Amino acid sequence: MKVAIDSGILTKSFLCILILAFLVLNGMVSDWGRLTGGFGNLKNFFYQSLWPPDWSVLEPQVYPVCTARYPFEFTCSTAWIGVIETIKIAFVATVFGMALSFPLSLAAARNLSPGWLSFSSRFVLSAFRSLPSLIWAIFFVILIGMGPLSGVLAMTVYTVGYLGKLWYEAIEGLNKTPLEAAQAMGLSQYETALGVVVPESANELISHSIFLFEYNFRSGTIIGIVGAGGIGYYIDLYLRFLQYDKVIAYLLIIFLVVLIIDFFSIYARSFFTEDDDLKAPSWFEVIYGLGRVASNPSSLFRGRR
Amino acid sequence: MQAGSNPDQPILVLKDVAIGYDSSDPLVKVPDLHVFPGEIIAIAGPSGIGKSTLLRTIAGLVSPISGTLKVCGRTLPENPPRGHLGYVPQKLGLVRHASVRHNVYQGARAGTNIRKERQDRSIRAIEEMKLTEKSREPIRRLSGGQQRRVATARTLAQRPRLILADEFLSELDEETLSSVLEAVTNYVRENNASLIVVEHDITRAKMMADRLLIIDDGRMNPFIEGTQALEVNP
Repeated sequence: MKVAIDSGILTKSFLCILILAFLVLNGMVSDWGRLTGGFGNLKNFFYQSLWPPDWSVLEPQVYPVCTARYPFEFTCSTAWIGVIETIKIAFVATVFGMALSFPLSLAAARNLSPGWLSFSSRFVLSAFRSLPSLIWAIFFVILIGMGPLSGVLAMTVYTVGYLGKLWYEAIEGLNKTPLEAAQAMGLSQYETALGVVVPESANELISHSIFLFEYNFRSGTIIGIVGAGGIGYYIDLYLRFLQYDKVIAYLLIIFLVVLIIDFFSIYARSFFTEDDDLKAPSWFEVIYGLGRVASNPSSLFRGRR
Repeated sequence: MQAGSNPDQPILVLKDVAIGYDSSDPLVKVPDLHVFPGEIIAIAGPSGIGKSTLLRTIAGLVSPISGTLKVCGRTLPENPPRGHLGYVPQKLGLVRHASVRHNVYQGARAGTNIRKERQDRSIRAIEEMKLTEKSREPIRRLSGGQQRRVATARTLAQRPRLILADEFLSELDEETLSSVLEAVTNYVRENNASLIVVEHDITRAKMMADRLLIIDDGRMNPFIEGTQALEVNP
Protein backbone atom coordinates (compact mmCIF):
# COMPACT_ATOMS: atom_id res chain seq x y z
CA MET A 1 0.00 0.00 0.00
CA LYS A 2 1.35 3.43 -0.91
CA VAL A 3 1.28 6.14 1.76
CA ALA A 4 1.49 9.90 1.45
CA ILE A 5 4.96 11.15 2.38
CA ASP A 6 5.52 14.41 4.24
CA SER A 7 8.80 16.02 5.23
CA GLY A 8 8.43 14.91 8.91
CA ILE A 9 8.21 11.23 7.96
CA LEU A 10 11.15 11.65 5.58
CA THR A 11 13.34 13.28 8.26
CA LYS A 12 12.53 10.60 10.84
CA SER A 13 13.09 7.82 8.33
CA PHE A 14 16.45 9.26 7.32
CA LEU A 15 17.51 9.60 10.99
CA CYS A 16 16.59 5.94 11.59
CA ILE A 17 18.62 4.86 8.53
CA LEU A 18 21.56 7.01 9.70
CA ILE A 19 21.49 5.39 13.17
CA LEU A 20 21.31 1.97 11.50
CA ALA A 21 24.38 2.85 9.39
CA PHE A 22 26.34 3.82 12.55
CA LEU A 23 25.31 0.55 14.23
CA VAL A 24 26.48 -1.44 11.19
CA LEU A 25 29.80 0.47 11.19
CA ASN A 26 30.21 -0.15 14.91
CA GLY A 27 29.80 -3.85 14.25
CA MET A 28 32.61 -3.77 11.69
CA VAL A 29 35.14 -1.68 13.69
CA SER A 30 36.89 -3.48 16.53
CA ASP A 31 39.14 -0.65 17.82
CA TRP A 32 37.90 2.95 17.70
CA GLY A 33 41.11 4.06 19.45
CA ARG A 34 42.95 3.86 16.15
CA LEU A 35 41.14 7.00 15.05
CA THR A 36 42.72 9.16 17.78
CA GLY A 37 46.18 9.14 16.21
CA GLY A 38 44.78 9.43 12.67
CA PHE A 39 44.70 13.22 12.39
CA GLY A 40 48.19 13.57 13.84
CA ASN A 41 49.51 11.02 11.39
CA LEU A 42 47.77 12.78 8.52
CA LYS A 43 49.27 16.15 9.57
CA ASN A 44 52.77 14.67 9.75
CA PHE A 45 52.35 12.88 6.42
CA PHE A 46 50.98 16.01 4.76
CA TYR A 47 53.77 18.39 5.85
CA GLN A 48 56.68 15.94 5.69
CA SER A 49 55.87 14.01 2.51
CA LEU A 50 53.14 15.73 0.47
CA TRP A 51 53.61 19.49 0.83
CA PRO A 52 54.86 21.46 -1.00
CA PRO A 53 54.14 19.72 -4.31
CA ASP A 54 57.16 19.00 -6.48
CA TRP A 55 56.37 20.85 -9.71
CA SER A 56 59.36 19.32 -11.45
CA VAL A 57 56.79 16.99 -12.99
CA LEU A 58 56.05 19.90 -15.33
CA GLU A 59 59.68 20.11 -16.48
CA PRO A 60 60.75 18.40 -19.70
CA GLN A 61 62.04 14.85 -19.38
CA VAL A 62 65.77 14.27 -19.87
CA TYR A 63 65.09 11.57 -22.44
CA PRO A 64 63.77 11.70 -25.13
CA VAL A 65 65.27 15.13 -25.85
CA CYS A 66 62.63 17.84 -25.89
CA THR A 67 62.28 19.60 -29.25
CA ALA A 68 59.59 22.07 -28.14
CA ARG A 69 60.62 25.72 -27.86
CA TYR A 70 60.08 28.23 -25.07
CA PRO A 71 57.46 28.59 -23.56
CA PHE A 72 56.14 25.17 -24.60
CA GLU A 73 58.79 22.96 -23.00
CA PHE A 74 56.20 21.76 -20.51
CA THR A 75 54.67 19.72 -23.35
CA CYS A 76 57.64 17.33 -22.95
CA SER A 77 56.90 16.83 -19.22
CA THR A 78 55.49 13.60 -17.79
CA ALA A 79 52.49 15.49 -16.40
CA TRP A 80 51.53 16.92 -19.79
CA ILE A 81 52.17 13.67 -21.67
CA GLY A 82 50.21 11.69 -19.05
CA VAL A 83 47.24 14.09 -18.98
CA ILE A 84 47.01 14.28 -22.78
CA GLU A 85 47.18 10.49 -23.07
CA THR A 86 44.47 10.10 -20.41
CA ILE A 87 42.25 12.62 -22.24
CA LYS A 88 42.83 10.76 -25.51
CA ILE A 89 41.96 7.40 -23.89
CA ALA A 90 38.82 8.91 -22.30
CA PHE A 91 37.74 10.54 -25.57
CA VAL A 92 38.21 7.44 -27.74
CA ALA A 93 36.59 5.16 -25.14
CA THR A 94 33.60 7.50 -24.79
CA VAL A 95 33.05 7.77 -28.55
CA PHE A 96 33.40 3.99 -29.11
CA GLY A 97 31.22 3.40 -26.06
CA MET A 98 28.52 5.72 -27.47
CA ALA A 99 28.56 3.90 -30.82
CA LEU A 100 28.12 0.51 -29.15
CA SER A 101 25.67 1.71 -26.48
CA PHE A 102 23.22 3.15 -28.98
CA PRO A 103 21.92 -0.10 -30.54
CA LEU A 104 22.12 -1.88 -27.20
CA SER A 105 20.10 0.79 -25.38
CA LEU A 106 17.44 0.79 -28.12
CA ALA A 107 17.23 -2.99 -27.82
CA ALA A 108 17.10 -2.80 -24.01
CA ALA A 109 14.30 -0.18 -23.85
CA ARG A 110 11.04 -1.95 -23.05
CA ASN A 111 8.94 0.67 -24.85
CA LEU A 112 10.73 -0.10 -28.15
CA SER A 113 11.70 -3.75 -28.08
CA PRO A 114 10.01 -7.07 -27.34
CA GLY A 115 10.60 -8.61 -23.89
CA TRP A 116 13.14 -11.24 -24.95
CA LEU A 117 15.35 -8.70 -26.73
CA SER A 118 15.09 -6.19 -23.91
CA PHE A 119 15.99 -8.82 -21.32
CA SER A 120 18.99 -10.19 -23.23
CA SER A 121 20.34 -6.68 -23.96
CA ARG A 122 20.03 -5.73 -20.29
CA PHE A 123 21.87 -8.92 -19.40
CA VAL A 124 24.80 -7.91 -21.66
CA LEU A 125 24.85 -4.37 -20.26
CA SER A 126 24.77 -5.65 -16.66
CA ALA A 127 27.64 -8.03 -17.42
CA PHE A 128 29.76 -5.15 -18.79
CA ARG A 129 28.88 -2.99 -15.79
CA SER A 130 29.44 -5.63 -13.13
CA LEU A 131 33.23 -5.18 -13.18
CA PRO A 132 34.81 -1.77 -12.52
CA SER A 133 37.00 -0.31 -15.24
CA LEU A 134 40.11 -1.12 -13.16
CA ILE A 135 39.37 -4.87 -13.33
CA TRP A 136 38.63 -4.61 -17.06
CA ALA A 137 41.99 -2.84 -17.44
CA ILE A 138 43.80 -5.70 -15.64
CA PHE A 139 41.95 -8.14 -17.92
CA PHE A 140 43.01 -6.33 -21.10
CA VAL A 141 46.60 -5.78 -19.89
CA ILE A 142 46.86 -9.56 -19.42
CA LEU A 143 45.19 -10.13 -22.80
CA ILE A 144 47.03 -7.66 -25.07
CA GLY A 145 49.80 -6.21 -22.92
CA MET A 146 50.48 -2.84 -21.31
CA GLY A 147 49.69 0.46 -23.03
CA PRO A 148 46.89 2.84 -23.94
CA LEU A 149 45.04 0.28 -26.13
CA SER A 150 44.27 -1.79 -23.03
CA GLY A 151 43.00 1.36 -21.35
CA VAL A 152 40.80 2.26 -24.32
CA LEU A 153 39.28 -1.24 -24.48
CA ALA A 154 38.72 -1.41 -20.73
CA MET A 155 37.00 1.93 -20.58
CA THR A 156 35.01 1.25 -23.75
CA VAL A 157 33.54 -1.91 -22.20
CA TYR A 158 32.71 -0.10 -18.99
CA THR A 159 31.27 2.89 -20.90
CA VAL A 160 28.97 0.58 -22.88
CA GLY A 161 27.65 -0.99 -19.66
CA TYR A 162 27.11 2.30 -17.90
CA LEU A 163 26.02 4.53 -20.81
CA GLY A 164 23.76 1.81 -22.20
CA LYS A 165 21.88 1.70 -18.90
CA LEU A 166 21.61 5.50 -18.61
CA TRP A 167 20.41 5.73 -22.20
CA TYR A 168 17.78 3.00 -22.07
CA GLU A 169 16.39 4.53 -18.89
CA ALA A 170 16.21 7.90 -20.65
CA ILE A 171 14.47 6.26 -23.64
CA GLU A 172 11.99 4.47 -21.39
CA GLY A 173 11.19 7.81 -19.75
CA LEU A 174 10.13 9.29 -23.09
CA ASN A 175 6.62 10.57 -23.57
CA LYS A 176 4.75 7.68 -25.19
CA THR A 177 2.54 9.79 -27.49
CA PRO A 178 5.20 10.47 -30.19
CA LEU A 179 6.10 6.77 -30.17
CA GLU A 180 2.45 5.81 -30.54
CA ALA A 181 1.97 8.30 -33.37
CA ALA A 182 5.01 6.80 -35.13
CA GLN A 183 3.70 3.27 -34.60
CA ALA A 184 0.22 4.15 -35.89
CA MET A 185 1.66 5.92 -38.95
CA GLY A 186 3.62 2.75 -39.72
CA LEU A 187 7.20 3.93 -39.18
CA SER A 188 9.65 1.04 -38.79
CA GLN A 189 11.64 0.50 -35.59
CA TYR A 190 14.71 1.96 -37.28
CA GLU A 191 12.81 5.03 -38.52
CA THR A 192 11.23 5.51 -35.09
CA ALA A 193 14.64 5.30 -33.40
CA LEU A 194 16.23 7.89 -35.70
CA GLY A 195 13.22 10.14 -36.25
CA VAL A 196 11.60 10.14 -32.82
CA VAL A 197 13.69 8.56 -30.07
CA VAL A 198 17.01 10.29 -30.76
CA PRO A 199 15.73 13.87 -31.13
CA GLU A 200 13.23 13.49 -28.28
CA SER A 201 15.81 12.20 -25.81
CA ALA A 202 18.82 14.13 -27.21
CA ASN A 203 19.20 16.23 -24.04
CA GLU A 204 19.64 13.20 -21.82
CA LEU A 205 21.75 11.26 -24.32
CA ILE A 206 24.22 14.11 -24.75
CA SER A 207 24.28 14.99 -21.08
CA HIS A 208 25.00 11.36 -20.10
CA SER A 209 27.75 11.11 -22.74
CA ILE A 210 29.50 14.21 -21.42
CA PHE A 211 29.22 12.82 -17.89
CA LEU A 212 30.80 9.55 -19.06
CA PHE A 213 33.69 11.49 -20.67
CA GLU A 214 34.34 13.21 -17.33
CA TYR A 215 34.06 9.87 -15.56
CA ASN A 216 36.40 8.18 -18.04
CA PHE A 217 39.02 10.87 -17.53
CA ARG A 218 38.90 10.38 -13.76
CA SER A 219 38.98 6.60 -13.99
CA GLY A 220 41.70 6.93 -16.66
CA THR A 221 43.99 8.15 -13.91
CA ILE A 222 43.35 4.92 -11.98
CA ILE A 223 43.67 2.39 -14.79
CA GLY A 224 47.15 3.73 -15.62
CA ILE A 225 48.27 2.22 -12.31
CA VAL A 226 47.83 -1.27 -13.76
CA GLY A 227 49.74 -0.33 -16.89
CA ALA A 228 46.86 0.70 -19.14
CA GLY A 229 48.45 4.05 -20.05
CA GLY A 230 47.82 7.64 -19.05
CA ILE A 231 48.85 9.74 -16.08
CA GLY A 232 48.16 6.85 -13.68
CA TYR A 233 51.34 5.20 -14.91
CA TYR A 234 53.46 8.08 -13.57
CA ILE A 235 51.46 8.27 -10.30
CA ASP A 236 52.11 4.57 -9.77
CA LEU A 237 55.81 5.06 -10.57
CA TYR A 238 56.31 7.80 -7.95
CA LEU A 239 54.17 5.99 -5.37
CA ARG A 240 56.58 3.05 -5.65
CA PHE A 241 59.54 5.39 -5.03
CA LEU A 242 57.64 7.06 -2.14
CA GLN A 243 57.93 10.46 -3.87
CA TYR A 244 54.60 11.71 -2.55
CA ASP A 245 55.37 15.37 -3.28
CA LYS A 246 55.37 14.49 -6.99
CA VAL A 247 52.21 12.41 -6.56
CA ILE A 248 50.38 15.39 -5.00
CA ALA A 249 51.54 17.57 -7.93
CA TYR A 250 49.95 15.08 -10.36
CA LEU A 251 46.77 14.96 -8.27
CA LEU A 252 46.49 18.76 -8.28
CA ILE A 253 46.97 18.78 -12.07
CA ILE A 254 44.23 16.14 -12.41
CA PHE A 255 41.95 18.25 -10.22
CA LEU A 256 42.60 21.28 -12.43
CA VAL A 257 41.89 19.31 -15.62
CA VAL A 258 38.68 17.86 -14.14
CA LEU A 259 37.64 21.40 -13.26
CA ILE A 260 38.33 22.57 -16.82
CA ILE A 261 36.35 19.61 -18.28
CA ASP A 262 33.53 20.43 -15.89
CA PHE A 263 33.33 24.03 -17.08
CA PHE A 264 33.45 22.95 -20.71
CA SER A 265 30.68 20.43 -20.09
CA ILE A 266 28.54 23.14 -18.46
CA TYR A 267 29.01 25.12 -21.66
CA ALA A 268 28.22 22.15 -23.91
CA ARG A 269 25.15 21.09 -21.91
CA SER A 270 23.74 24.62 -21.94
CA PHE A 271 22.93 24.14 -25.64
CA PHE A 272 20.62 21.23 -24.87
CA THR A 273 18.68 22.62 -21.94
CA GLU A 274 14.89 22.33 -22.06
CA ASP A 275 14.41 25.83 -20.66
CA ASP A 276 14.60 28.40 -23.42
CA ASP A 277 14.87 31.24 -20.92
CA LEU A 278 18.33 30.05 -19.86
CA LYS A 279 21.02 31.61 -22.00
CA ALA A 280 24.05 29.56 -23.02
CA PRO A 281 27.15 31.10 -21.36
CA SER A 282 29.65 32.71 -23.72
CA TRP A 283 33.18 31.34 -23.99
CA PHE A 284 34.34 34.50 -22.21
CA GLU A 285 32.04 33.73 -19.27
CA VAL A 286 33.31 30.14 -19.09
CA ILE A 287 36.99 31.14 -19.16
CA TYR A 288 36.40 34.11 -16.85
CA GLY A 289 34.59 31.83 -14.38
CA LEU A 290 37.45 29.34 -14.56
CA GLY A 291 40.04 32.06 -13.98
CA ARG A 292 38.10 33.42 -11.02
CA VAL A 293 37.95 29.98 -9.41
CA ALA A 294 41.65 29.36 -10.07
CA SER A 295 42.62 32.69 -8.48
CA ASN A 296 40.27 32.23 -5.52
CA PRO A 297 39.30 28.57 -4.93
CA SER A 298 37.22 29.45 -1.85
CA SER A 299 34.67 31.16 -4.17
CA LEU A 300 33.57 27.64 -5.16
CA PHE A 301 32.12 27.10 -1.71
CA ARG A 302 30.28 30.40 -1.47
CA GLY A 303 26.59 30.59 -2.22
CA ARG A 304 25.44 32.34 -5.36
CA ARG A 305 24.18 35.86 -4.77
CA MET B 1 1.73 5.46 -51.16
CA GLN B 2 -0.91 7.50 -52.86
CA ALA B 3 -4.33 7.95 -51.38
CA GLY B 4 -7.31 7.03 -53.48
CA SER B 5 -9.17 3.77 -53.87
CA ASN B 6 -12.24 2.07 -55.24
CA PRO B 7 -15.22 4.08 -53.86
CA ASP B 8 -17.24 0.88 -53.40
CA GLN B 9 -14.63 -0.76 -51.18
CA PRO B 10 -14.79 0.37 -47.56
CA ILE B 11 -11.56 1.77 -46.11
CA LEU B 12 -12.58 0.76 -42.59
CA VAL B 13 -14.70 -2.16 -41.47
CA LEU B 14 -15.65 -2.90 -37.88
CA LYS B 15 -17.79 -6.01 -37.35
CA ASP B 16 -18.99 -7.00 -33.87
CA VAL B 17 -16.02 -5.24 -32.34
CA ALA B 18 -15.77 -4.83 -28.58
CA ILE B 19 -13.29 -2.22 -27.39
CA GLY B 20 -11.65 -1.52 -24.06
CA TYR B 21 -8.93 -2.67 -21.72
CA ASP B 22 -10.90 -5.24 -19.71
CA SER B 23 -12.34 -8.16 -21.68
CA SER B 24 -15.08 -8.71 -19.10
CA ASP B 25 -16.13 -5.06 -19.22
CA PRO B 26 -15.80 -3.53 -22.73
CA LEU B 27 -16.10 0.23 -23.06
CA VAL B 28 -17.72 0.36 -26.50
CA LYS B 29 -19.36 -2.21 -28.76
CA VAL B 30 -19.56 -1.55 -32.49
CA PRO B 31 -21.96 -4.00 -34.16
CA ASP B 32 -21.28 -2.86 -37.72
CA LEU B 33 -19.46 0.14 -39.15
CA HIS B 34 -18.27 0.65 -42.72
CA VAL B 35 -16.40 3.82 -43.70
CA PHE B 36 -16.12 4.48 -47.42
CA PRO B 37 -13.64 6.58 -49.42
CA GLY B 38 -14.38 10.30 -49.29
CA GLU B 39 -16.39 10.05 -46.08
CA ILE B 40 -15.89 12.19 -43.01
CA ILE B 41 -17.12 10.66 -39.77
CA ALA B 42 -17.30 12.46 -36.44
CA ILE B 43 -17.47 10.61 -33.15
CA ALA B 44 -19.00 12.47 -30.24
CA GLY B 45 -20.08 11.63 -26.73
CA PRO B 46 -19.42 12.43 -23.09
CA SER B 47 -15.82 12.43 -21.87
CA GLY B 48 -14.39 9.17 -20.55
CA ILE B 49 -16.85 7.03 -22.48
CA GLY B 50 -14.27 5.51 -24.84
CA LYS B 51 -14.04 7.77 -27.92
CA SER B 52 -10.26 8.04 -27.82
CA THR B 53 -9.93 4.32 -27.03
CA LEU B 54 -12.02 3.56 -30.12
CA LEU B 55 -9.67 5.71 -32.19
CA ARG B 56 -6.58 4.11 -30.64
CA THR B 57 -8.00 0.68 -31.44
CA ILE B 58 -8.54 1.61 -35.09
CA ALA B 59 -4.97 3.00 -35.09
CA GLY B 60 -3.70 -0.42 -34.02
CA LEU B 61 -2.43 0.77 -30.64
CA VAL B 62 -4.97 -1.20 -28.61
CA SER B 63 -6.11 -4.69 -29.59
CA PRO B 64 -9.87 -5.13 -29.90
CA ILE B 65 -11.33 -7.46 -27.27
CA SER B 66 -13.32 -9.28 -29.92
CA GLY B 67 -14.63 -8.91 -33.47
CA THR B 68 -13.13 -8.06 -36.85
CA LEU B 69 -11.32 -4.80 -37.57
CA LYS B 70 -10.05 -4.14 -41.09
CA VAL B 71 -8.25 -1.05 -42.40
CA CYS B 72 -7.65 -0.87 -46.17
CA GLY B 73 -8.49 -4.55 -46.41
CA ARG B 74 -5.89 -5.58 -43.82
CA THR B 75 -6.87 -7.12 -40.51
CA LEU B 76 -5.67 -5.39 -37.36
CA PRO B 77 -3.71 -5.81 -35.20
CA GLU B 78 -1.89 -8.70 -36.96
CA ASN B 79 -1.49 -7.05 -40.35
CA PRO B 80 -1.24 -3.25 -40.01
CA PRO B 81 -1.62 -1.11 -43.15
CA ARG B 82 1.83 0.45 -43.11
CA GLY B 83 1.72 4.07 -44.24
CA HIS B 84 -2.01 4.06 -45.10
CA LEU B 85 -3.16 5.26 -41.69
CA GLY B 86 -2.58 8.79 -40.40
CA TYR B 87 -3.03 9.48 -36.71
CA VAL B 88 -3.27 12.80 -34.86
CA PRO B 89 -3.52 11.97 -31.16
CA GLN B 90 -5.08 14.38 -28.67
CA LYS B 91 -1.60 15.25 -27.34
CA LEU B 92 -0.37 15.44 -30.97
CA GLY B 93 2.64 13.12 -30.56
CA LEU B 94 5.15 15.61 -31.92
CA VAL B 95 8.88 15.40 -31.26
CA ARG B 96 9.20 18.45 -29.01
CA HIS B 97 12.94 19.04 -29.41
CA ALA B 98 12.93 18.66 -33.17
CA SER B 99 12.00 21.26 -35.77
CA VAL B 100 8.69 21.67 -37.58
CA ARG B 101 10.36 20.40 -40.75
CA HIS B 102 11.65 17.27 -39.02
CA ASN B 103 8.22 16.45 -37.59
CA VAL B 104 6.44 16.91 -40.89
CA TYR B 105 9.12 14.83 -42.61
CA GLN B 106 8.28 11.89 -40.32
CA GLY B 107 4.81 11.81 -41.88
CA ALA B 108 6.28 11.87 -45.39
CA ARG B 109 8.71 9.13 -44.38
CA ALA B 110 5.77 6.93 -43.35
CA GLY B 111 4.01 7.65 -46.63
CA THR B 112 6.72 7.06 -49.23
CA ASN B 113 10.14 5.50 -49.62
CA ILE B 114 11.32 8.01 -52.25
CA ARG B 115 13.56 10.64 -50.65
CA LYS B 116 12.78 13.43 -53.15
CA GLU B 117 9.05 12.76 -52.84
CA ARG B 118 9.33 12.97 -49.04
CA GLN B 119 10.98 16.39 -49.26
CA ASP B 120 8.42 17.70 -51.75
CA ARG B 121 5.50 16.48 -49.66
CA SER B 122 6.97 18.03 -46.50
CA ILE B 123 7.48 21.42 -48.15
CA ARG B 124 3.96 21.40 -49.62
CA ALA B 125 2.33 20.43 -46.31
CA ILE B 126 4.28 23.09 -44.40
CA GLU B 127 3.22 25.72 -46.93
CA GLU B 128 -0.38 24.57 -46.82
CA MET B 129 -0.46 24.91 -43.03
CA LYS B 130 1.26 28.33 -43.30
CA LEU B 131 4.23 27.23 -41.25
CA THR B 132 7.02 28.10 -43.69
CA GLU B 133 8.45 30.83 -41.45
CA LYS B 134 8.46 28.48 -38.48
CA SER B 135 9.87 25.47 -40.31
CA ARG B 136 13.23 25.57 -38.48
CA GLU B 137 11.75 26.29 -35.03
CA PRO B 138 11.65 23.52 -32.42
CA ILE B 139 8.12 22.42 -31.56
CA ARG B 140 8.47 23.42 -27.90
CA ARG B 141 8.67 27.07 -28.91
CA LEU B 142 5.36 27.01 -30.81
CA SER B 143 1.91 27.87 -29.45
CA GLY B 144 -0.70 25.13 -28.94
CA GLY B 145 -2.50 26.12 -32.16
CA GLN B 146 0.71 26.12 -34.19
CA GLN B 147 1.56 22.68 -32.84
CA ARG B 148 -1.84 21.40 -34.03
CA ARG B 149 -1.08 22.76 -37.48
CA VAL B 150 2.25 20.90 -37.45
CA ALA B 151 0.50 17.64 -36.53
CA THR B 152 -1.99 18.22 -39.36
CA ALA B 153 0.86 19.00 -41.79
CA ARG B 154 2.56 15.75 -40.75
CA THR B 155 -0.59 13.83 -41.69
CA LEU B 156 -1.02 15.69 -44.99
CA ALA B 157 2.63 14.93 -45.87
CA GLN B 158 1.96 11.26 -45.22
CA ARG B 159 -1.04 11.25 -47.61
CA PRO B 160 -2.79 8.35 -45.86
CA ARG B 161 -6.04 6.69 -46.96
CA LEU B 162 -7.54 6.95 -43.48
CA ILE B 163 -6.95 9.85 -41.08
CA LEU B 164 -7.77 9.42 -37.40
CA ALA B 165 -7.84 12.72 -35.53
CA ASP B 166 -8.53 13.16 -31.83
CA GLU B 167 -9.84 16.67 -31.05
CA PHE B 168 -7.51 18.06 -33.72
CA LEU B 169 -9.38 21.35 -34.06
CA SER B 170 -9.20 22.44 -30.42
CA GLU B 171 -6.96 25.39 -29.44
CA LEU B 172 -7.29 26.88 -32.94
CA ASP B 173 -8.59 30.39 -33.50
CA GLU B 174 -11.57 30.73 -35.87
CA GLU B 175 -9.53 31.77 -38.90
CA THR B 176 -6.93 29.01 -38.49
CA LEU B 177 -9.65 26.48 -37.71
CA SER B 178 -11.42 27.09 -40.99
CA SER B 179 -8.20 26.96 -43.02
CA VAL B 180 -7.03 23.73 -41.32
CA LEU B 181 -10.45 22.16 -41.73
CA GLU B 182 -10.60 23.21 -45.37
CA ALA B 183 -7.14 21.74 -46.08
CA VAL B 184 -8.03 18.40 -44.46
CA THR B 185 -11.50 18.08 -45.99
CA ASN B 186 -10.14 19.03 -49.42
CA TYR B 187 -7.49 16.35 -49.07
CA VAL B 188 -10.12 13.76 -48.10
CA ARG B 189 -12.51 14.65 -50.93
CA GLU B 190 -9.86 15.01 -53.65
CA ASN B 191 -8.00 11.83 -52.78
CA ASN B 192 -10.92 9.59 -51.85
CA ALA B 193 -9.47 9.21 -48.39
CA SER B 194 -11.52 9.06 -45.16
CA LEU B 195 -11.42 11.05 -41.97
CA ILE B 196 -12.60 9.91 -38.57
CA VAL B 197 -12.49 12.67 -36.03
CA VAL B 198 -13.29 12.63 -32.33
CA GLU B 199 -14.94 15.94 -31.53
CA HIS B 200 -16.52 17.02 -28.27
CA ASP B 201 -18.16 20.06 -29.87
CA ILE B 202 -21.33 18.63 -31.45
CA THR B 203 -21.99 21.76 -33.53
CA ARG B 204 -18.53 21.63 -35.05
CA ALA B 205 -18.83 17.88 -35.55
CA LYS B 206 -22.10 18.32 -37.45
CA MET B 207 -20.56 21.10 -39.53
CA MET B 208 -17.73 18.95 -40.83
CA ALA B 209 -19.03 15.39 -40.84
CA ASP B 210 -21.09 13.34 -43.28
CA ARG B 211 -22.05 11.02 -40.44
CA LEU B 212 -22.03 11.66 -36.74
CA LEU B 213 -21.57 8.69 -34.45
CA ILE B 214 -22.74 9.29 -30.93
CA ILE B 215 -21.32 7.07 -28.26
CA ASP B 216 -24.13 7.20 -25.75
CA ASP B 217 -26.92 4.99 -24.42
CA GLY B 218 -27.91 3.89 -27.87
CA ARG B 219 -29.78 7.10 -28.58
CA MET B 220 -29.98 8.25 -32.21
CA ASN B 221 -28.86 11.76 -32.93
CA PRO B 222 -31.85 13.59 -34.47
CA PHE B 223 -29.93 16.27 -36.34
CA ILE B 224 -27.96 14.49 -38.99
CA GLU B 225 -29.32 12.03 -41.41
CA GLY B 226 -27.53 8.73 -41.34
CA THR B 227 -26.33 9.14 -37.79
CA GLN B 228 -25.58 5.87 -36.08
CA ALA B 229 -25.38 5.12 -32.41
CA LEU B 230 -22.82 2.80 -30.94
CA GLU B 231 -23.70 0.53 -28.07
CA VAL B 232 -21.85 1.58 -24.97
CA ASN B 233 -21.00 -0.59 -22.00
CA PRO B 234 -24.35 -2.39 -21.93
